[in-house]
Amino acid sequence: MAEPTSAANGSALAAKVFRSLEFRMLCLALLLAVVLSFASPFFLTERNIFNILDQSVVIGIVAVGMTFVILTGGIDLSVGAVFGLTGIILAQALQIMPIPIAIPLAILSGAGIGLFSGILIAVFGLAPFVVTLGVMAIGRSLSFIFSGQRSISGLPPELDSIVYSTFLGIPANVLFLIGLYLLAWGYLTYTKGGRTIYAIGSNHEAARAAGLSTLFYSIMPYVVSGALAAVAVTFSLAQIMSADPLAGNQLELDAIAAVVIGGASLYGGRGSIIGTLLGVLIMVMIRNGLNLMGVSPFWQGTAIGSIIILALLAERLINWRSARA
Amino acid sequence: MVEVQSSHDITARAEPLLTARGVSKHFGKTHALVDAALTLRPGEVTGLLGANGAGKSTLSRIASGHIQPTDGELTFDGAPLELSSTRDALRQGIALVAQETSLAPDLSVLENVFLPDLANPGHLSFRAMRARATDLLADLGHEHALPLDAEVRTLSAAQRQLVEIAKALALDARLVIFDEPTASLSATEVDRLFDIVDRLRAGGRALAFVSHRLEEVFAITDRVTILREGQAVCEDVATSSLTQGDIIQHMVGRDLGAIYTKRDVAPDAAGDTVFEVRGLKATPWVRDMSFSVRAGEIMGLGGLVGAGRSEAMEAIWGLRGRQAGDILIHGKPVNLRKPADAVRAGIGFVPEDRRAQNIVPDLSVRENLLIAQMGQHKGFLRGYGRKAEETAALLADLGLPADRLDTSLLNYSGGMQQKIIIARWLLTAPEILILDEPTKGVDIGTRSSIYRLLQDAADAGLAVIVISSDFEELLGLAERIVVVSDGVTIADLPAELLTEEKLTLLAAPRTSTERNQAVLSDISAAHGGDAFWILLDKEETICLAQAGEQLSGLVPGQAAAAHETRIPQAISALGADFIAEDNGHRTLMTQMTDRRGHDLGWIGLTLPENADVPEPADIRARVHNLTHLET
Repeated sequence: MAEPTSAANGSALAAKVFRSLEFRMLCLALLLAVVLSFASPFFLTERNIFNILDQSVVIGIVAVGMTFVILTGGIDLSVGAVFGLTGIILAQALQIMPIPIAIPLAILSGAGIGLFSGILIAVFGLAPFVVTLGVMAIGRSLSFIFSGQRSISGLPPELDSIVYSTFLGIPANVLFLIGLYLLAWGYLTYTKGGRTIYAIGSNHEAARAAGLSTLFYSIMPYVVSGALAAVAVTFSLAQIMSADPLAGNQLELDAIAAVVIGGASLYGGRGSIIGTLLGVLIMVMIRNGLNLMGVSPFWQGTAIGSIIILALLAERLINWRSARA
Repeated sequence: MVEVQSSHDITARAEPLLTARGVSKHFGKTHALVDAALTLRPGEVTGLLGANGAGKSTLSRIASGHIQPTDGELTFDGAPLELSSTRDALRQGIALVAQETSLAPDLSVLENVFLPDLANPGHLSFRAMRARATDLLADLGHEHALPLDAEVRTLSAAQRQLVEIAKALALDARLVIFDEPTASLSATEVDRLFDIVDRLRAGGRALAFVSHRLEEVFAITDRVTILREGQAVCEDVATSSLTQGDIIQHMVGRDLGAIYTKRDVAPDAAGDTVFEVRGLKATPWVRDMSFSVRAGEIMGLGGLVGAGRSEAMEAIWGLRGRQAGDILIHGKPVNLRKPADAVRAGIGFVPEDRRAQNIVPDLSVRENLLIAQMGQHKGFLRGYGRKAEETAALLADLGLPADRLDTSLLNYSGGMQQKIIIARWLLTAPEILILDEPTKGVDIGTRSSIYRLLQDAADAGLAVIVISSDFEELLGLAERIVVVSDGVTIADLPAELLTEEKLTLLAAPRTSTERNQAVLSDISAAHGGDAFWILLDKEETICLAQAGEQLSGLVPGQAAAAHETRIPQAISALGADFIAEDNGHRTLMTQMTDRRGHDLGWIGLTLPENADVPEPADIRARVHNLTHLET
């Protein structure tokens, strides 16, 4: 068995960066941006860039929770339904209580649903796919029940300050997204909990034998995912000013796609929050670019699906080559 | 049962069935084989030896069609051999019994034996298959060992192997390659496997036996071929012409000296008892285990595979539930409910399965090294900087350059991986270090450095517990050995009193010792007095079992100085009669041997002063019946 050859110290870091998946994803995102800016003169305008960032907020927030879950080797199919349900809960709560109480209540409901899934998965050993599929059905059904099968409007007008206030010219929701990604990156990289999440996804038994709190950190990602779905819907409500029981339909697929494009392994243990951010941006840019070019929205699924498959295929081919070289 | 010819008297050696010359195999930049050669003849067992990564498995996989060589010539039965698949090889009569069996776990034994047939078109006659399978197993001497309808997933490792062998025979394989067949077998199972190999050899098959356990090589092979770094350094040489030292030298390319170097420990060097376990119970494997270990001591936990050793450690570690038992550290009871409790209580534990229980493959070498100390500290951050100095010192000790810390642990050899896993625990500065099969899958060159690592740890005052199925290793490494059988600790003895044979007897499954126990009870019930079974050394006796009124002073699982008993006189009077002891007791000793003539120790009967003295011949007859029954 050949031991790895030691690289020269100076270029080692650069080589590591070039070899990393995130770097290749960044190149893909930039390439996409160049192509789209040639395809549409409106793409590279300041207004559109903020547009892209704005459109990234909801899926970006949800994708952070999904990254946590997928890193442990799980999956959360319920985020779209939790998004819809907590949106209805928030809208109903806003009818009877002030904003600073209603929002935490909605986030707590999201976290509670995540805790429910997490306990079923980590304590009772049920398959994440099946548990969250069940929770997805329950969540969507309850959001119809709680809303009376209609959209809820008449939300307090002050709610939109969450989105439309700016700091240094940057909208609050975009600022929040950037802060969330920094926080998530720091957590996953530098804390015991973050490293435990990676270790669980890579080898649960070894992580447990090494004395890590595998039970807690197997449940926690689902709680984070549920809570972040509620956070995302808060920003969404503040923009649309109405809650729809169907909101967030198929949002889970977008979030999973972003995480996978970002290089995470669905078996767990591999992936990064930077990759997820790039994955989100790539998805949103494709949508935005196709819209600007006037392509029918029905073609967007084909485009995004193809990008996912091509990205994974390219990754596999590169891995094969580097394994052979 | 038919007595099998264990030595084979082939005067003129047969023509080779398989030859391989100049075989090379490249995987990308890795040259697994450079210039390998192999010759296998009918009616011979050829040992294929080499350190880990020498190319043994690659060569056997080439010979059995699993992979194709980059270059080289193979002939089979005098004709050039080109195999494009395992089906090809099987059709020619070449079968591989692999380390990881290639059985379908959800299918029955019967379906697995005829698995290659299931792929053929046409109707299958299950009745014919059943009859054939029964015949095949009878040929192997195991017609009752395998329920044909059992699902393979429910079988033990040894039984699965038997299915693999039957599968090879179902295809009339003329050449069978065993790839590390004994890796997961217990001592008795290895004996049974050797019996099967003997039968196959007597049946004129050509056999290859891949192994790195030298004692097995001497026990079973006629010829050896030794690979080193993909090259045949010693090809088709008679095993009897080589010494153990020769083989090691060929394998590692240099003289290793002794693998085991005993530590210089003064008799009282070990400190206080650091760790003690009393009456541990964790069903179904662990029934009643007690042991203790002192600071600066290496304690060996010996026993057969399946005796409950690993399960006991996992129960202590909080990986399994415990039903009963106390765990004491420095005499104080501790409640360890999960691994984190044990880590913080100062215990380090290297579980048996390196890949499944130790390595976190997606984390770098550095993170794998620091993961246990991360589980130990209570901080919020990962705390990798906390042990920077200790890490640097350990890495220098292991000979691992710091700039390789960011690579994957999977790139390293099994031995280096194991050293890093052990270092992971040393970094937590434990008082107690438990290692389950620490040299499993580790090549002979790296083993001694692992032993040194453990000895250094003990010298530094750690209490070390080593679990091993390799009795030679236990005897070479540990100062004291606790023997476990069927989930019960049955002996606690200094290593210098023990030999591999004695350990094997002590570790025998209870089911076989129960019969002996029954005979002892029988004898004692019939004649009164104290019946016991002992092993005898020059100065010590070790009692294995005892029944009846306590007269001899012998306690099962303990040693007594021989001169304190009257046993030597009793034995010197062997063949005669009971001898009288000073205190009026009378004792008769009878030697016990098994069907193959192996020494099984002595059965003794001590009678109180006024008892009726039975006819010595009666008792001898009982003992003889006991040991010569069909097993």
